[in-house]
Amino acid sequence: MSEVLLQAKQIDKNFGATHAIDHVTLDFYKGEVHALIGENGSGKSTFTSCLTGIYHKDSGTFTLLGKEIHAKNQVDGNYQGVAIIVQEIGTLSGLTVAENIFLGKENEFTKMNVKNTKAMNRKAQQLLDSYGFNYIKATDIIDKYNFEDRKLIEIVKATHFKPQILVVDETTTALGEKGRKELFKVMRQTKEDGRCVIFISHDLDEVIEQSDNISVLRDGVLIDTVKSSDVNTDDLKKLMVGREMSNNYYRSDYGEEVSGEVVLKGEHLTVPGEIEDFNIELHKGEIIGIGGLSECGMHEVGKALFGASYDREGKVTLSDGTAINDIKTAIDHSIAYASKDRDNESLVINDTIQDNITLPSLEDIKKNHILHAKDEKAFAEKFAKQMSTKMEGVHQFMSALSGGNKQKVVLARWIGKNSDIIILDSPTRGIDVKVKADIYQMMDRMRKNGKSIIMISEEISELLGMADRIIIMKDGHQSGEFKRSADLKDTDLIAKMV
Amino acid sequence: MTKFQKFKQSHWYGLVLLALIAFLFWAIFKILAPQTFGDFDKLQTYLKTALYYAVGGCGLYFICVMGPFDMSVGANIVLSSVLAVNMSERFGYAGLIIAPMISGVLVGLLNGLVYIKLRISSLIVTAGLSLVYEALSIFATNGKEAILAPSYRAFGDYPGNLILALFAFFLCGFILKYTKIGTYTYAIGSNEVVAKNMGVNVDKYKVVAFVLCGFFVGVEAILTISYGTSMTSASNLASMSRNFPPLMGTFFGLAFKKYGHPVIAIVVGEFIIQLLFQGFVALGAPTTVQNIVTGIVLLAIVTLTIKPVKGAVVK
Repeated sequence: MSEVLLQAKQIDKNFGATHAIDHVTLDFYKGEVHALIGENGSGKSTFTSCLTGIYHKDSGTFTLLGKEIHAKNQVDGNYQGVAIIVQEIGTLSGLTVAENIFLGKENEFTKMNVKNTKAMNRKAQQLLDSYGFNYIKATDIIDKYNFEDRKLIEIVKATHFKPQILVVDETTTALGEKGRKELFKVMRQTKEDGRCVIFISHDLDEVIEQSDNISVLRDGVLIDTVKSSDVNTDDLKKLMVGREMSNNYYRSDYGEEVSGEVVLKGEHLTVPGEIEDFNIELHKGEIIGIGGLSECGMHEVGKALFGASYDREGKVTLSDGTAINDIKTAIDHSIAYASKDRDNESLVINDTIQDNITLPSLEDIKKNHILHAKDEKAFAEKFAKQMSTKMEGVHQFMSALSGGNKQKVVLARWIGKNSDIIILDSPTRGIDVKVKADIYQMMDRMRKNGKSIIMISEEISELLGMADRIIIMKDGHQSGEFKRSADLKDTDLIAKMV
Repeated sequence: MTKFQKFKQSHWYGLVLLALIAFLFWAIFKILAPQTFGDFDKLQTYLKTALYYAVGGCGLYFICVMGPFDMSVGANIVLSSVLAVNMSERFGYAGLIIAPMISGVLVGLLNGLVYIKLRISSLIVTAGLSLVYEALSIFATNGKEAILAPSYRAFGDYPGNLILALFAFFLCGFILKYTKIGTYTYAIGSNEVVAKNMGVNVDKYKVVAFVLCGFFVGVEAILTISYGTSMTSASNLASMSRNFPPLMGTFFGLAFKKYGHPVIAIVVGEFIIQLLFQGFVALGAPTTVQNIVTGIVLLAIVTLTIKPVKGAVVK
């Protein structure tokens, strides 16, 4: 075993009544990629946030190369040798690429309070070029670049100064093929330099492939640290959940007849620059999976069907002929939609769990035209509990929940609304295996109860495992359609995607 | 990408667009009222007014980019102007220049500190404090009109006004582009939480923005009192109407921010507003019609310039 680089001793962190990290002690070694895994809310991100200065730990010590470190914020953490790349967007609009890369580090280019903007731009461009991102211009306002390019800029920002510890927190789910490749290259380089990567991901295959050691957290407690070469995904699932997980948590039925009743029809749907001439017929009790590469236009299909797309052409109609052209009509006619962009498009982050769950159902909760606080609370509690949401209570703010629990709230909202048609975009993005299994079971129950589901997903196994029919998209067009079958292989779908 | 598309993305596009809008309004009113509008002398007069509003607009820009708002600009102008008159009587030009700058800074500092400490809306804080500043202006003048002595009116006309305004514009542009304050102003406006995580002392820089706003409004007060020569103290929020002329320039600055020249946009924007106002005066239009058309044109210009993305959240 090589030399210890970072020692975490008795790290403890509470959020109100929630014990997020419970006296975790863990060593990280030089030249190691060390994965942290666990269910949503297990404390992985809280642990690394305490290390990198996003949160302040309640007690315990981090010792890097023999010296105790206390990061006051991310930039302070950078100066002490730790850096983090986060799951969501971490760059700031309105600033240039260079200003984003050196945000908080302007003093390196400042003399007598005057910033040498030219020197900063030059240095930023040199860094971008050295990473092979020379098409990104340091002087450009960052808004000019798409999500993936902005993530690449974040990679430069977090790694250019060669931190001793690089935390990669659920970043891969936000990246396409190109971005992942670049990220893994940087991770490999960090390891080869004798530094350490702390890698957080819910993709267990990816975890085993990329890491040397894996530590498992459950409810804030360190369960075990294992060598990646000694375990498989089932072992990890067992460690994460605390019991044996069934190998196959998808539907097991094949050959079931789907009802002939069409409940939603999309005809010649076109959204300029996103999708072209898309057609779909959703039947009662059917799950349709829509898959493809990230930028193929599939995410726009969900919005188009929900009446949330701008400049949409074509028709979306229900079985009774009602046209769905806007969100209000969609909700009034029992259509639900959960966006891929959970924080920005599905949830009111600065509001309580209760308000998020009851929001579309207030008319149903009213009694004699009056909303009673007691009824709202009871409604929210019922559906939050039905989804096994980990929370202090429905009064808790959304921003305090983990990614998986946020998704449970989104689903609780639409279950509460008792919608008949549910459009789920990336329903298990950033979600741990246990919650995934819960969501799949819930979808299966809904299907059996006559609800119809459109599931948009970048995960091929999920499409194969859950859908009655799978539509594959490529460059905004439908490139293939498959019926549910035990013989259907991932390679069949991939062939239509690329 | 065509040459025009490239040009549209360049920094020059915004400047050319502003110049074209200014020329368009000048040409329209010049055709409609050739005798009474827009000759060289009159353009100089329009610019004179635009200059002092633009100086205040530069100050407001720091606050509006971050997200808060300052409703005390009018009260600050009144208070700083009467103090400028009082101090000019004792210390001459030094008093005329330094007193409103200090007064503006103190007003900004108080606004910022109260806003940060009480954690309530900046609109409420600054509107509430406006009453205090107005009351102070009454104490400072005993309720009488403050008149600037003729010997101290150099900043009321060219070249004094232009020199002082240019100093303010260069200072604003410099702070935005060449200091941390500029970067952090945009960073906090973009995402306060991420800025905080990057080590930006958000509260401190919010106070700094209010102080800078106060300072530039103090400079505007020098130009205002020098040009107008007298100022009456205000009460019952009568100073509120003075908030809006500088704000219109700030709107232009915000709309043209993406082209990288907010200060020029503020100055030209104020000039465009003056062209509109004076154009209507030249046409003999009633004030109500002037206000309606000016308001609509302002909204149209800003909307067309920003071209908001469909579905984007606008607050």
